[in-house]
Amino acid sequence: MVNVHKGVLVECDPAMKQFLLYLDETMALGRKFILKDLDDTHVFILAEVVQTLQERVGDLMDQNSFPITQK
Amino acid sequence: MKLRVQLQCKNLHEYLRELGPDVLDRLYNHPATCLAVCRELPLLAKNYVMRMLFLEQPLPQAAVALWVRKDGQRDHDECVSVLTGLRLWHSQQLQGGLQGYILNPVFKDNLRIALLGGGKVWADEGIILGPDRHARDIESLDRYAMERWEVILQFMVGSPSAVSQDLAQLLVQAGLMKSEAGEAPYITSAGFQFLLLDTASQLWYLTLQYLNTAQSRGMELVEILSFLFQLSFSTLGRDYSVEGMSESLLTFLQHLREFGLVFQRKRKSRRYYPTRLAITLAAGVSSNSPSNMTNTPGTGDAGFIVVETNYRIYAYTNSELQIALVALFSEMLYRFPNVVVAHLTRESVQQAIANGITAQQIIHFLRTRAHPVMLKQSPALPPTITDQIRLWELERDRLQFTEGVLYNQFLSQADFEVLRDRAQGLGCLVWQDASHRAMVVTPQGHSEVKKFWKRQRSHT
Amino acid sequence: MASGMSWFSHYFCFLFFLLLTSTRVACFAEDEVNLLVIVVDVNPIWWGQQAQREPEFTLSKCLDGVMVMGNSHMALTRTNKLAVIASHCQDSHFLYPSKSLGGGGGAAEDTSSSRDGKYELLAVANSAIAEEIRNVLSKTEVRGNSTDTLLAGSLAKALCYIYRVSKELDVGQEIKSRILVIKAAEDCALQYMNFMNVIFAAQKQNILIDACVLDSDSGLLQQACDITGGLYLKIPQKLALTQYLLWVFLPDSEQRSQLVLPPPAHVDYRAACFCHRNLIEIGYVCSVCLSIFCNFSPICTTCETAFKIQLPQMVKPKKKKLKMPA
Repeated sequence: MVNVHKGVLVECDPAMKQFLLYLDETMALGRKFILKDLDDTHVFILAEVVQTLQERVGDLMDQNSFPITQK
Repeated sequence: MKLRVQLQCKNLHEYLRELGPDVLDRLYNHPATCLAVCRELPLLAKNYVMRMLFLEQPLPQAAVALWVRKDGQRDHDECVSVLTGLRLWHSQQLQGGLQGYILNPVFKDNLRIALLGGGKVWADEGIILGPDRHARDIESLDRYAMERWEVILQFMVGSPSAVSQDLAQLLVQAGLMKSEAGEAPYITSAGFQFLLLDTASQLWYLTLQYLNTAQSRGMELVEILSFLFQLSFSTLGRDYSVEGMSESLLTFLQHLREFGLVFQRKRKSRRYYPTRLAITLAAGVSSNSPSNMTNTPGTGDAGFIVVETNYRIYAYTNSELQIALVALFSEMLYRFPNVVVAHLTRESVQQAIANGITAQQIIHFLRTRAHPVMLKQSPALPPTITDQIRLWELERDRLQFTEGVLYNQFLSQADFEVLRDRAQGLGCLVWQDASHRAMVVTPQGHSEVKKFWKRQRSHT
Repeated sequence: MASGMSWFSHYFCFLFFLLLTSTRVACFAEDEVNLLVIVVDVNPIWWGQQAQREPEFTLSKCLDGVMVMGNSHMALTRTNKLAVIASHCQDSHFLYPSKSLGGGGGAAEDTSSSRDGKYELLAVANSAIAEEIRNVLSKTEVRGNSTDTLLAGSLAKALCYIYRVSKELDVGQEIKSRILVIKAAEDCALQYMNFMNVIFAAQKQNILIDACVLDSDSGLLQQACDITGGLYLKIPQKLALTQYLLWVFLPDSEQRSQLVLPPPAHVDYRAACFCHRNLIEIGYVCSVCLSIFCNFSPICTTCETAFKIQLPQMVKPKKKKLKMPA
């Protein structure tokens, strides 16, 4: 039987996908949001979490960036 | 899922192609339009047109295909589709039964007129009115045009400046500004992107929006388009007479006056002067060629921005508008009477990107307004800066979201392939993986695919 | 967070990749000015004879063709520029932009001439060309025995003009220029030296020289086109001049690589001797200054080196005349 899900397809690099899996496993968004792990660069997720997810990715980027200029 | 609205600026051909065939045919009734259309053709297509301009007989299609070398075949096909799409040439049966091409006779005649003369005068020149007592020289026209244009931009960034109801409405319709009931309009993310374009592109964008709404204003599209092209081929510093213009054209002239495209001393004046903005209008038409219009003498601030490798920006200007633009994507440090110093930081650039501005737009803005000193080196902007701005943008693009519907757990490979091929045929397949028997289709295509699947199952 | 490390390495790989690609993006297509200088041979003697031979193809017909060509060039792209030079047997004269109109393209002059649907800029240019050619032909009288077209001089003028325009460009603009010679009268071997100098100057400046030859083949122009990468075409039908101009000579060099054009002509590489200006295939070359002579002379007329007459077997390597294919 064919299974049908509505959601959002996310395309990203493998490293980023690991980060998504990590968020999913630790329930960082309060719940599981990955509907289906498709391949190295694609995951299928719930549409509701897109906004929060972007914020989390932004936070990750913030942690990994250092001021490169001085005033 | 559209998370970011990208400002789409069509070029002339994309615009014309959307017009109906009868509109196009009427449009080619004016030499100026023919010249403008011809000018914007791909190089090879220009060559075809010139080669066929003086031929009265149709040429066999096979002969035309032999005009290019074998490796240029793709360009040839593109030219054929452009020329056919714009109805510049028609296919015609030759005597031997071969298919041939012949130039659109209306277009051919009018292009010949534009190049060689004959026909009617485009516009009455001011000569018949006698010399103008308030004649304008080129500098004052340039000044006037830039002032008018800045007023519009200032209005967009929210500085108090007077624009007409019509214009404010146009900006809202163009999606550059938003207005909620009873409140003054405020700028949208598309508006921010608009501000960072160079003047020629801004002008062309706004003109396109104007044309889109022209018919709802009860204006004859062909008439105003022809006038616009005619204006873009006129001579700077000359006066032209409004004699013989229709009522709707006169209204159009008033709007052009507000944009700063023409100078008219008084509303009722019987003569007008096209400004440099009108004449360079067609230069913004090809949005892919980043012409440095801002550097042409007279169109306001020639380059005034210096960018250093330490992420500092020095903007030698005292225009509130330009400072506001620089502040869109940088952090202001100091302000002096003739210069402001700003700082590009990750936060400021990401803030701008969150507002819908792309890295390319920021870089383009800096490059087109680069100080002459910067232009002496190549590339004009330090590569570290441009690369970093792009990297900052890419940080946000680590994830790409596409809304869709996932189909998986197919019982057989054949089932999967049937449905996949169907979805592909419908053009709604987003992603598929045969080894896992999973595929994603767009939400729009979902119902169609579902229907197909149900039918398919009832058959077997 | 186990993924932290791999994330980082991936990020940096990506960064390097980006650095590699971005430099290409940074090369920016700047505005390009395309300057075409047309040199028209208006040799009155040749055109006079031509009018008697073929009354249907006269100088005015030829100039019409030139104007159509010039108009098309200027109309097709905004940044295209044009200059037309008439090459007479007494002098070379700028038809457009002409001196009397103040550098051409000026705004203030009144043009009462064209009152029809022609693009204004073109109307101004055409009336200027017509006016100037009338001036040239009425004012220049043919004196003495100089009946050859001063083509080398006109080409030199064209080069100077191109140089001037390229100096006056705005910052960031680039110029691409070419010269189109419309040649009517016979070659003049007297101009061989000047001609070759002009050709090499053009080659150094990356300026193409195209030649459209109406009558007899010109060895000098064949060499000019060959050296500068231009096109040489002797048109089979004079009446079809305009069509040939629009087909072969209107497209610029980039476009020509796409088109199927007439095959390149066989190039006549003969040089003219310095003593009698005859075209020769084999001659004497001065070993000091490389001047070419059709017959032996004991003193080189160019550098005044004295050669001692010797028999071929008593070779003295220093002052020997070489026999060399030119």
